[in-house]
Amino acid sequence: MRKYETFFIIDPDLTEEAYNLAGEKLKGIVNGNGGVVLTYVPWGKKKLAYPVKKRTQGLYILMEYCGGAALVAELERNMRLDERVLKFITVKLEDRFDPEKEEVDEAVTPTVFDEDEDVVESETGATDEYEAQAGAELAEE
Amino acid sequence: MVLRRKRRTFQRRKVCRFCVDNELQIDYKDGKTLRYFVTERGKIVPRRISGNCAKHQRVLTTAIKRARQIALLPYTTIHTV
Repeated sequence: MRKYETFFIIDPDLTEEAYNLAGEKLKGIVNGNGGVVLTYVPWGKKKLAYPVKKRTQGLYILMEYCGGAALVAELERNMRLDERVLKFITVKLEDRFDPEKEEVDEAVTPTVFDEDEDVVESETGATDEYEAQAGAELAEE
Repeated sequence: MVLRRKRRTFQRRKVCRFCVDNELQIDYKDGKTLRYFVTERGKIVPRRISGNCAKHQRVLTTAIKRARQIALLPYTTIHTV
């Protein structure tokens, strides 16, 4: 078994109910294809760096799970078909993973990178500040 | 000789930020840190400017490209509406 993580964006215009339903569906796919969902962490609503399917915001969710290569193919196929999922990326974390040791690993919750300037509630165009910093560094040289 | 010394004065010692700070991890999900290594246009800052070591620059490049895929970083800023 391998350990993977899938980071995906869900349509922010969905109702709470539809949002939960979409999450349950994806978890169901993992469990139904011989995988185990290890963590499922919503990262909240964030501003996208560029519009995706005419949307400028998205709900980011990080899901860690273990399973085989066929599971990833099936999950990605479903995400492509599902209109609620705007974008996704799957990264292999470990080549060999033992689900028996799950408890040990589960205690370590993945870090959520807080990005106040990207969270929609405090949207003030603070991203420009960062770019200015990077630019200043360039100019310095 | 004079010329050489003059050039040296402009040089500043650059160190790899990721080698100095072991706590600082490169993760494609951490847009805040990655943003420091792209220009305002969204291009990846070269090693000669950022001062990263080769190893970390390679990891960083992959992370930035992944972050672009998931819309945490822009591919370019010129076309965005």
